Amino acid sequence: MLALYLAQIVNSGLALGAVYGLMALGFSLIYCASRLINFAQGELLLLGGLGIATLAGVMRLSPLVAVAAAALAGFLLGRALFATTLGLTLRASPLRQLMLTVAASLVFQGVAILAWGKNPLMPPRLLPLPDLRLGPLFFGRDTVTALALAFCAMAVLGVFLKYSRLGRALRATSQNAVAARLMGIDPVLCHALSFALAGALASLAALAVGPQTGLRYDMGLGLGLKGFAAATIGGYTSLPRVFLGGLALGLCEAALVLFLSGELKETATYALIIVLLVAAPAESEAERP
Amino acid sequence: MASFSLSRKASLALFFAAMTAVGLVTPAHRLIGVNQHMFLAANVLALNFCLGLGGQISLAQAAFAGMGAYASVLLHARFPGATLVIVPTVVLGVGLLAALVSRPMERLGEGFLAMATLCVSLVCVNVALTLEGVTGGAAGLMVERRLALPGVGELGGDRLTFFLFLLLLALGSYIFLALRDSRLGRALAACRDDRHAASSLGIDRPAVRAVSFGLGGGLSAAAGVVHGHYTGFISPEQFSLELSLKALLFLVIGGPGNLLRPILAALVLETAMGWLQFLGEARTLVNGLLLGAALLAGYWRVRR
Repeated sequence: MLALYLAQIVNSGLALGAVYGLMALGFSLIYCASRLINFAQGELLLLGGLGIATLAGVMRLSPLVAVAAAALAGFLLGRALFATTLGLTLRASPLRQLMLTVAASLVFQGVAILAWGKNPLMPPRLLPLPDLRLGPLFFGRDTVTALALAFCAMAVLGVFLKYSRLGRALRATSQNAVAARLMGIDPVLCHALSFALAGALASLAALAVGPQTGLRYDMGLGLGLKGFAAATIGGYTSLPRVFLGGLALGLCEAALVLFLSGELKETATYALIIVLLVAAPAESEAERP
Repeated sequence: MASFSLSRKASLALFFAAMTAVGLVTPAHRLIGVNQHMFLAANVLALNFCLGLGGQISLAQAAFAGMGAYASVLLHARFPGATLVIVPTVVLGVGLLAALVSRPMERLGEGFLAMATLCVSLVCVNVALTLEGVTGGAAGLMVERRLALPGVGELGGDRLTFFLFLLLLALGSYIFLALRDSRLGRALAACRDDRHAASSLGIDRPAVRAVSFGLGGGLSAAAGVVHGHYTGFISPEQFSLELSLKALLFLVIGGPGNLLRPILAALVLETAMGWLQFLGEARTLVNGLLLGAALLAGYWRVRR
């Protein structure tokens, strides 16, 4: 019985955890490149997912095309978000930039309400992956989809950041924007790129989370927060660690939901974030925004 | 310098005179909507203590307001007529709690503090939702008792509540200005402008900032008390994250550290958004555009 419970926790925890991990990766990308906390991250997921769901309703999408379309849509959305927030206020105080992303999240939500209404939308499963059974563990279709998407996205992102010229420029900007600029890197381009990549990741996360919970106009903030929490657990700087932070948060939540009610689970999660933030090591104090 | 401070006083006097006129002239049923904006304005002022003076962002303002409202309503249900004791106790208690909460969070940077206080807000909402036996959960709580003063009677009604809010704003403004020009205020300004320099000058940063955070929490709680007893019904939804975010937005639009501008921004923009009710579903979008435009306008004005 206990083994069944545990398998259930692992299954649902990994399904959500992979989504949190993807969100956390996007969060960390933007945060590292421009020291900005992006409140509109969840809305990127929302709009990307809704767009793909509509596209899938119009035409038949093969799995590869669906993934490519989602990534492209998210990429463009993220770029648009940059152009309307940070791109306009590069020299503003961080607080104003932060609040602009809040306003942008409202605008995105408004677009979602106008175009898709307030009822939750159940997008179709675009990736036909089978259920998987590994010994005592059982992975549902949604879990397999989420994990596959997340690992592929992370691998592509890792290769891009590590080996491509543009990826190296992005990493250089994250480490030291002034020095990167002296080397001839355009920091604004890198900021824009980080937003666009975050959008693509969020859109891919939508492919995973859509069939699990449906897409609703007000789901963005919660998911964005979980992504932030996961990024904080993972420490922002390393791709695998940030992603593992997402998985850990998902598993933790799935375990809590079995023992506590839904609201208590949320309370515990948010209290955990506070504790993590307060107890995080102090030596990085100077680098925090 | 003297003329500047005179004009500041003059604009303050003008503002409160105009608000008094609004309170006297507007028909009572119109004041229902205005009182909502006044509640928000009080929260903007409360946030100004944390952010404008101490340079600390806080998204927990709604939580403090909610704590004030729930505590006061629950206590009034048990001890009716003890307003004179309950309200100061609640305001003081929430203020102290806010100060305590802020202490360990002091060293967090802007964005991280925003997230931490946001989580405080969410924790409070979820706790209120969970404790159905006490708070009524998501269904909310009917408020049966009004605020009452011995010799004056019940404090209720639209017009009286408007003036209560105005009194709160005036009191808050007075404390704000007095604090800003005091030694403590200068210490806070030092923390805001360069926290490492402030520390090395011997300022006990967590303690100093806890004072501003506590004052902000207390003012929010007071606003929550008035609001809770006025509406006759309280639910976690009224004190959700939206309120905190709105307060922060208007404060940033008006410029943290300014006294009147954020309050005016809150009142004017909220009224404008109130007129947009007819837009129906498009309201969220237009609100977002309006707030974004206000933020950008402020930025471009400062740059020029």
